[in-house]
Amino acid sequence: MQVDNYQIPENLFYDNNDFWIKVNGEEALVGMTDFGQSNTGDILYLELLNCGEILSRGERCGSIESGKWVGNLTAPVSGAVIDNNSEVVVNPRKINADAYGEGWMYRIKLSNPDEIKLLMKAQDYAAWVAEQMKNEQEIN
Amino acid sequence: MDLFNLGEVTWWESQCFYHALAHLGREGLIICYPSSPYVCLGLHDDLEQEIDREYCERSGIPVFRRETGGGVVYLDNRQIFFQLVMRRDNPRLPLRRHKYYENFLNPAISVYQQLGVPAELKKPADLAANGKKCSGNACGDIDNGVAYVGNMLLDFNFEVMSNVLRVPFHKFRDHFKRSMQNNMTTIKDWMNYPVSYNDLAWRLIKEFKTEWDDLHLTEVDQTLADKAKELFERYTSEDWLQMPGRKYHDRRVKIAEGLMLMEKSFGPDCIAVALVREGIVEDMDIYGRRNSVTEFIGREWNEDLLAEISANPDNRQEEITHAS
Repeated sequence: MQVDNYQIPENLFYDNNDFWIKVNGEEALVGMTDFGQSNTGDILYLELLNCGEILSRGERCGSIESGKWVGNLTAPVSGAVIDNNSEVVVNPRKINADAYGEGWMYRIKLSNPDEIKLLMKAQDYAAWVAEQMKNEQEIN
Repeated sequence: MDLFNLGEVTWWESQCFYHALAHLGREGLIICYPSSPYVCLGLHDDLEQEIDREYCERSGIPVFRRETGGGVVYLDNRQIFFQLVMRRDNPRLPLRRHKYYENFLNPAISVYQQLGVPAELKKPADLAANGKKCSGNACGDIDNGVAYVGNMLLDFNFEVMSNVLRVPFHKFRDHFKRSMQNNMTTIKDWMNYPVSYNDLAWRLIKEFKTEWDDLHLTEVDQTLADKAKELFERYTSEDWLQMPGRKYHDRRVKIAEGLMLMEKSFGPDCIAVALVREGIVEDMDIYGRRNSVTEFIGREWNEDLLAEISANPDNRQEEITHAS
């Protein structure tokens, strides 16, 4: 699926902070969407939680910096970090280059799998992205 | 939106009031200047790598880490700050935060131009006059707010700025200072009479009102003051200051948008220092050898270039001297 030039794979879940979530049983892989990385711009620095750290849905779980802007990463689901992508920490531009592949951020063990129901499916996220783009055009 | 024309505030209030607005979910425009100098790290700067803490302590210059981006800056009462805080759900705020810099910086550009300084935006967030940086700016999502912060330079203390940074060897500091002097400009360079804070502040406010016509002058209330004090404790705590940040193998310092001072060591006796503009070497010195650097000027600063410097061809062997 695609909105404008932004890829939105259908096999993933999404939240409105522009993170994708790939669920595999009790685990989930998390990264930033194509739309999210494009809005963020050239990513210069990334800070992720370490393995074993616990994150709660909606809470800060890292930090990101692009040209002259910094922002927090917010957890789309709750759980314990079981792996993080050290390569993307060293070279965060991988998120810009391959948001759904080498740009993945971390893997967690879900502590509340029911939270998946609160996430958007690709079609819903696509509608949300389209709405954001419309709002952005109005600002400009 | 609330307008805080604060004039002189303490060094930490010049940072903590806008952070407090953001954390309280309030919006506002602050114009102020700090009563005394301090050093301010960007959120992701590494304290140990960036700052000569001993010099700062000896000179009575406190260190602060802000929650916005960008690098280390030296701030004092010869700089006027303008700080705009909006809630993240403000419909004026674009998803691409850097796009708002233009709106945010237009007032400062206008004021500079009124004073005869031909300032223009150098994207994403620098202001430059005749190619020289004249304003430093940063932005960050802070809690449920977004803060854009900038300054106008009445004058700048290049000496102290070059001293507060940790450098790999003393010559690097000379390069840093010279690079700043050659690539930065202040209002003092353009005017033959002093400009007062009040003059600049009211000009800025007038210009901000063209974008924000609902600015209402107000004063710092107790809630804001209390939050600012609470944040001051946090932002100057050792845990916060020592927070791990981006580390580089070789020293690099950003002078202005697209302009970096780079250091590269080739063993203990040979160090190259290069001023690199948009990836191209503009100036270079190699310490520890007497060979010419002219062949490297205008070249791209990349692995190939570094390999050539490192290769140390036979025909230059006799020219090598050890660094003193």
